Amino acid sequence: MLNLFFLSILQLLYVFALAPLAVGILHVFDERLSSRRGPSIFQEYYNLFKFFRKQSIYPKTASGFFSYVPYITFGMYLFLTLVLPIITAFPLLFGPVVDFVGGGLVFGAASTFLKLASLDSRNSYSILGASRASSIGIFTEPIILLIFIMFGVISGTNNPYVINNILQTSTSWFFSLVHLFVGVAFFLVLIIETGQLPIESHTPNEFGSIDSLMSLEYSGRELALLKLGSYIKSFLLMNVFLNVFTLPFFVPMKFNILAIVLYMFINFLKIILLLAIFAIINNIVSKYRLFKIFDYILIAFSFALMAMVVFYVVNGG
Amino acid sequence: MIYLLPSISATLGAILSFSLFRSKHKEASVLASFLALVFSIFLLFEPDRFTAFFYVDSLSKIFLLMISSVYLGVVIFSIGYLEHSHGHLVKSCQYFSLLDIFVGIMLFSVTLNNFGLFWVSIEATTFATALLVASENDIAALEAAWRYIMIVSVGLTIGLVGTLFLYSSAHTLSITDLLSRQNQGSLFFLSGMLLVIGYGTKIGIFPMYTWLPDAHGKAPAPISAIFSAVLLPVSLYPLIRFFEVYQDPSLSKFAFVLGFLSVMTGSIMTLNQRLYKRLFAYSSVENMGLSLIGVSLGSYALFGTIVLIFTHAFAKSGVFMLTGNMLHELKTRKIEDVKGLIKIMPKTGLFLFFGALAVTGTPPFATFFGELLIVSKTINYYGWIVGVALFFFLMCGFLFINYRVINMVFNDETKPVSSAKESPFTFVPVIFITLAAFVILIVPIFYRFIEGVIK
Amino acid sequence: MEKEIFALVGFWEIILSIFMQWQAYTISNIKTFSVQSWILGIFLLWAGVFHGFTALIILALLTIITRAIAMPLYLGNTIRKQIYRARENKHRISTGLSILISLLLAVFGYLVYYLILAGYGQSLVSIPITLMLQGAFLIVSRSNAYSQLIGYLVMENSMFLLSFLFSELPFIVEAGIILDVLGVVVVAGLLMRVRDEDIEKEEELLG
Repeated sequence: MLNLFFLSILQLLYVFALAPLAVGILHVFDERLSSRRGPSIFQEYYNLFKFFRKQSIYPKTASGFFSYVPYITFGMYLFLTLVLPIITAFPLLFGPVVDFVGGGLVFGAASTFLKLASLDSRNSYSILGASRASSIGIFTEPIILLIFIMFGVISGTNNPYVINNILQTSTSWFFSLVHLFVGVAFFLVLIIETGQLPIESHTPNEFGSIDSLMSLEYSGRELALLKLGSYIKSFLLMNVFLNVFTLPFFVPMKFNILAIVLYMFINFLKIILLLAIFAIINNIVSKYRLFKIFDYILIAFSFALMAMVVFYVVNGG
Repeated sequence: MIYLLPSISATLGAILSFSLFRSKHKEASVLASFLALVFSIFLLFEPDRFTAFFYVDSLSKIFLLMISSVYLGVVIFSIGYLEHSHGHLVKSCQYFSLLDIFVGIMLFSVTLNNFGLFWVSIEATTFATALLVASENDIAALEAAWRYIMIVSVGLTIGLVGTLFLYSSAHTLSITDLLSRQNQGSLFFLSGMLLVIGYGTKIGIFPMYTWLPDAHGKAPAPISAIFSAVLLPVSLYPLIRFFEVYQDPSLSKFAFVLGFLSVMTGSIMTLNQRLYKRLFAYSSVENMGLSLIGVSLGSYALFGTIVLIFTHAFAKSGVFMLTGNMLHELKTRKIEDVKGLIKIMPKTGLFLFFGALAVTGTPPFATFFGELLIVSKTINYYGWIVGVALFFFLMCGFLFINYRVINMVFNDETKPVSSAKESPFTFVPVIFITLAAFVILIVPIFYRFIEGVIK
Repeated sequence: MEKEIFALVGFWEIILSIFMQWQAYTISNIKTFSVQSWILGIFLLWAGVFHGFTALIILALLTIITRAIAMPLYLGNTIRKQIYRARENKHRISTGLSILISLLLAVFGYLVYYLILAGYGQSLVSIPITLMLQGAFLIVSRSNAYSQLIGYLVMENSMFLLSFLFSELPFIVEAGIILDVLGVVVVAGLLMRVRDEDIEKEEELLG
């Protein structure tokens, strides 16, 4: 019991410490691939410290809700950190609280709060970002749901730990076509959710940005919390993608402190591998026009639906 | 091997007119077609032959005769036709070469003993003729050829699936083997349906007939003639063989429905046609639908179909050649622009009238006899109401087409154009339509000859 | 084992044909088709070597030579002379809708198997059926001649998968099919050089 509690704290610290680092590493990869030197990998920490020390300013038109939202969403991301399998493949103290669908709902609630706050700020660019984000979100939600359903088909449950254990032990599932297609669909959705290049570019002009527009009016500590929250969100999603689904190996299934510590390093190596893939994609594709994003979403959807058809075709007949 | 002689002579004609005797391609083609006709007549008196590759009975011989006689006529008429036309897509020697190879493939296909090779050869005729359809080289002709090649290829792919199912259910594709074994099972039925749809595309059966009016309307007149007269029946040939090896009431009903629908569309669509070649193209749809009905019903309706196809081949090819004459002299494709044909071009006008009567099945012609057999079998099989409905649509086609043709031929409100003169090759369609009138005389001989095929 | 590999090959071909619906550039459709044919040819080659069927090996080599190499090269050369047709400006059906319809066709293909063909074999039959429907849909949904031709070729590819699943057709027939398809492509390529789109309203082809 106490062990699980300490492990939860460890997991929280792990995510806290490494989420900004992952972003820094991604930036360095990006710059290196375009033959530039780029900032230090710790640049994001410096930014966060700077924001924390600065004064907060709120728009005159905004209500009090606007200033609470960064704390609420940050709390939600912290909660999610406690319940997802990141450094262990057995449930930690808070693990049994929610399953995949519940986790998805918490993610959705956080992004809804963000959108509401950006509407509350009355900044027209923030509103533009909110409307873009929600119109994309409308179409990605069903895909995520379909992916969860396919998880359920594979494992017979919605519990991420069980899915990890099944995929870790059963080679027939791991090498099945269903797993492959759901994996591809998940990857495509991950690109949308983490805001990588074919969908969203982080250049200063407003044509390409979606999520980054929503926090335009924040400053100081609130901005720092929002940024950290969004780093944690990306980090969590990448972890779910890697630990639960794509590379479920080496995640310790029994309590063994040495294995867990060792796995913390392996996990970060996996993340770095994924970041390298992201960086390569960022360098070979250009941003899609806003309306082409929906075709992209449809391709992701087609992979998810194909996984379902595969399940019926291969196993059903 | 002896049964390949017509095909070989046509193929040789193709090779000769394309390579060695390029300057003498017309003579080479005429010689080849003449030889093919002589061989076909000669083969009529040879015994039937069933080997691993060849399956030749009286039906094949009749098809051989039909193909090679239309072939000779079309080649001779093409000589005159090409002098007037201004196509740039294919040169004259390429035209004759493609025509020869196309006929060679058809002559080959009706002697085969293998459903897979039927498919291969019928698909081969598609791409052999696509350039001929486009040879007028304007936008509409190219589009027509494109639709032809696309729709027919896709339809025939369905036929290929049918062939595949046939093979996987029977483990053989040869007619002789299929005849000797008991054919049943729903996979066989499914393959039959797919074959009807697939080959039906090329025959011009209801859902996928749309390429037919385009291709017939825009192809050069001799090509329309050989398409309508020979290519469509040759595509029907595998279905005749298939219904021979597999009699199933529901499959026959399926084919009947498709055939009935195409008679319906063919006859109704003739009502609002404004171009005379398309008018006759829809008449082909109607006739082919009727033939499919005959094939599906079997027994004496099948005999009716063969008579219908045979007469229709001569009459329709004659009619299409005459439309070529009209196009050259009057420089119009529209029905409304043609008036008083009998004064401008007496022979063309008169025989167009007779030809239209022949293709719509008027009593003195053998088409009437064929249609009568098919309709009576329909009444026998499906009752009075269906039979009368079929007869009604045939009458519609008869009325609409003949009304238009009579308007074109005898209605002389305008002054005749004096300069119009008929091409010297008009004698070919004249002979063809006359022959179509005489087929009725040889129907009893026909029946004696083909008795073995009809059960 | 063979079943899994067949499913893998078949579903990648389906995914590639969905991908074709996404493309706006004809040249990338041609490349996608080439990839599809490579997958098919390598699969047939593997099956031929695995089972020791000489006919299948020859067929696989023919497939690779004609469909994966010769036809894409030929079509690519043709299109390079008409650069204005390299991009398809307006689809008859919007891209998103056509991807969705392609997906529904996959479900429909399974239903066809389930309702009609369930008695005759494995559910893998639905893969070639789906691919065939998608090829037909590519023909219907595009007005560009190249895309239509590629749709036809996709249909022919699916025929090979189907014939692999059911009993293999006699070699002479299969070889004839390959030659026929080659002929169709050559003739269609000749026609395409001179054909133009947007002539739906050509007066002589109405009715």
